[in-house]
Amino acid sequence: MKLIFEKSVKGREGYSLPQDLFDDIKIEECLPEYAISKDKKILSEVSEVDVVRHFTKLSKLNYGLDDGFYPLGSCTMKYNPKINEKLASLSNFIYAHPFAPENTVQGCLEIAYDLNKLLCEITGMDEYTMAPAAGAHGELTGILIMRKYFVDRGDIRHKMLIPDSAHGTNPASAAMGGFQVVEVKSNEKGTVNLKELAELMDEDTVGLMLTNPNTVGLFDEGIEEIEKIVHHKGGLLYYDGANLNASLGIIRPGDAGFDIVHLNLHKTFSTPHGGGGPGAGVIGVKKDLIPYLPTPNVAFNSHQNKYYLSDAGEKSIGMVRAFWANFSVLVKTYAWILSMGPDGLYNASKTSIINANYLLTKLKKYYKPAYDRYCGHECTVTGKEYKKYGVKTLDIAKRIMDYGMHPPTIYFPHFEPYAEETIMVEPTESESKETLDKFIDIMIKISDEAKTNPELLTTAPHITPIRRTNDALAVKRVILTYDDELKLKDELNYTNENIEF
Amino acid sequence: MRYIPNTEEQKKEMLKEIGVSTFEDLIESIPQNLQLKDKLNIPEAISESELEDKIFHIAKKNADFNSMKPLIGAGSYRHFIPEAVKFLLQREEFWTCYTPYQPELSQGTLQSIFEYQSYISRLTKMEVIIPSIYDGASATAEAALMSLRLTHKNKIIVSNLLHPHYRETVKTYLAPHETEIIDLPYKNGLVDMEKLKILIEEDAASIIIQSPNFFGGIENMAKISEIVHSKNILLINVIVESMSLGILKAPGDTGADIVAGNAQSFGMDLNYGGPYNAYLGTRKQYIRQLPGRIVGETVDIDGKRVFVMTLRAREQDIRREKATSNICTNHNLNVLAANIFLSLMGTEGLYQISLLNAKSAHYLENLLLKSGKFEKVFNYPFYHEFLLKSKEDISTVNKKLLENNFIPPLKICEFYQAGNLKNVLLFAVTETLSRDHLNNTAKILSE
Repeated sequence: MKLIFEKSVKGREGYSLPQDLFDDIKIEECLPEYAISKDKKILSEVSEVDVVRHFTKLSKLNYGLDDGFYPLGSCTMKYNPKINEKLASLSNFIYAHPFAPENTVQGCLEIAYDLNKLLCEITGMDEYTMAPAAGAHGELTGILIMRKYFVDRGDIRHKMLIPDSAHGTNPASAAMGGFQVVEVKSNEKGTVNLKELAELMDEDTVGLMLTNPNTVGLFDEGIEEIEKIVHHKGGLLYYDGANLNASLGIIRPGDAGFDIVHLNLHKTFSTPHGGGGPGAGVIGVKKDLIPYLPTPNVAFNSHQNKYYLSDAGEKSIGMVRAFWANFSVLVKTYAWILSMGPDGLYNASKTSIINANYLLTKLKKYYKPAYDRYCGHECTVTGKEYKKYGVKTLDIAKRIMDYGMHPPTIYFPHFEPYAEETIMVEPTESESKETLDKFIDIMIKISDEAKTNPELLTTAPHITPIRRTNDALAVKRVILTYDDELKLKDELNYTNENIEF
Repeated sequence: MRYIPNTEEQKKEMLKEIGVSTFEDLIESIPQNLQLKDKLNIPEAISESELEDKIFHIAKKNADFNSMKPLIGAGSYRHFIPEAVKFLLQREEFWTCYTPYQPELSQGTLQSIFEYQSYISRLTKMEVIIPSIYDGASATAEAALMSLRLTHKNKIIVSNLLHPHYRETVKTYLAPHETEIIDLPYKNGLVDMEKLKILIEEDAASIIIQSPNFFGGIENMAKISEIVHSKNILLINVIVESMSLGILKAPGDTGADIVAGNAQSFGMDLNYGGPYNAYLGTRKQYIRQLPGRIVGETVDIDGKRVFVMTLRAREQDIRREKATSNICTNHNLNVLAANIFLSLMGTEGLYQISLLNAKSAHYLENLLLKSGKFEKVFNYPFYHEFLLKSKEDISTVNKKLLENNFIPPLKICEFYQAGNLKNVLLFAVTETLSRDHLNNTAKILSE
């Protein structure tokens, strides 16, 4: 599609200015020469109508959750309730300045405080920080808490254990936290190899980062043993909450011995993904770790009956961002929990587990499960049987688009020999049996096509706004801005057909 | 439950298909003693209308911010947001989609990010833009980490006039890396150039300077760059108020090696502190050390010009512990807001609004000085934030302002205890304040 720059017409306006532009003030007299730019920065020149049409057209090139099934494994693409958006955009919230006096923001603080308590109860933890902006940001925060905890005890440890099935953010966060990453292999059941864990867990290790159910969608039945092994060596147990959607009202990480948990509010707690954020990756801890939480945190003064932002003490890891939270995400989370109640939360996890197992049952004849056992809220199958027809998992995913659905997560997790050419499907509680049946039909049809007409898959998708992209070329040519493109104009030589669709 | 379509009947049917008699059979791998026996102790579900009542009631415990005008900024600025921004942003195709891993179904998000990268590149005059870090503070911290990787040195000099929250965040991020952080003091509201010359040594990886700085002062970045580069140190230019780029010199024109910028002013509400968005800019030569996601142009098999996430070999899902950062989910919807905002503003609109901010701030400063109730703290060039020392107790000043529907300015002593900044306020003025508002402010404070 044409870029906004290609729609620009000199002199066209999309803005409105106040009548009074303070022409009595001469900026050249106020500011030194070194400060002011000699030229105007050239953006684009389009009208409001142009802008509205441009972005409306762009939006139509996207596929959103409200369009249909979006079964990305480990992403928990559940329905985002509309009322929550309205509530988060109340003028008293959106116009609240983060440094506004505390007595003017009691409503904001009450929500954050209340949400803290609700999340504690849901996960069995003692206190949360609302600071982290995303899951990985929460991981880093949690890891810094672990680090500070050991440093304070004069117990300097260097290693962090992470299962081979973990999200890439786990090892990346551990490295940012200054730890050496030690990988723990999965066993033949798809869960943590306890023997290896016991061998690796030593007194130079801060602990273990675990996702449960893990990224293959399997509950780790050895959880009690894992907890003993890690704690026995004085380590801490970190819970990656990416897959909490299988646990609401069923099991609480706090009861299972986890010391730190992060929750992705934009997954389990229904806030929208927005094409890659903003979310929130709040962190919950057990009592001993509360002093290490980032500063500030919301507190309540019962004498004055007032909420306030309290500075954590000297043990705190400090600040991990400016101000204190992605507040509007908190409002949506709060609204969702209140709408669901205890029965609704349990129902959400129960339904998502049934949905995932139903898919697994129906799909396994056609796509071999990575592990043939009941799964949590997501199931992992593989497309490796179709390699002999010249079809890869990627081709299967692209073909799903032709049938009007978003493909599941592919090639993650990846560890041999169990998880190759993986297709990880997470249906969430938002999907009806009818939708699941339709997806199953599509998957069966595709398996048939793979055998009889593999080219249909290897050249898919066919009916999407664009087709397969040349990713290697993007790395080779490195065009990252419109000005980069302009420099290569002659070489690129786009026709109108290439850019207008 | 209205958000869960499957009926109990359907669930039973599905369990039967799965081959189990009860749901409990599916979760038998969870140890019995860890399974919750009672339901969660949280309030019972309420209806949508009860929910609305409840949240409306809580929102009312805030001040009526709709009728209030902020005289405060300090890293979060209230600018006018055209309705078209919010309207377009809420299209479900943007609002409810995931990170654009599948370009065939995500060209809307991808092209928008590419356009935004193009805009920010022109505003900052930096060759490469990472569009989406969580916020200005974490972007500054990422820039600091990037400078360590680029230079293999372990010392960073940080201006004392970098936003205090940004300074704290940098400290937090650097803690595990045992980096020495040197505090660069200020003089007359700007970086102390003499101290800079003394402090600067070749063993430093980078220096972090915010301009306009936390006091609103516009630093002489070209001069700073000259000093810094004479010692082979990377210059990290932090921009907390990106609206200033409309009239101020671009960091790329004054020697910045890395730019970390808070983009909140481009179409994002105050939201009591977040979510906002921040960008990073640098030169192409440093591209492999950039953290976070970036979008590039390529073609599809039909020859169409298309956009994809690119240079991914730096990222956590591919490189794991060797990645340049752990960033995964970021603030892409805010990128879209900023892109729509900048598209509406265009060349002339951004220039005019940016200019108006500076002019109206200088108008208010003048007015307050004339009132005789305030005096200058420093004689320094500022953009749209400035310090003034009040002759009256600042708590009284702020109380008066609050009573008259202004969110009062920041008491600077809350962040700077040293340097005789007692009774000093940091005012911020944007285009949302008319001449009447500013006259009224001065009138209230003259009484």
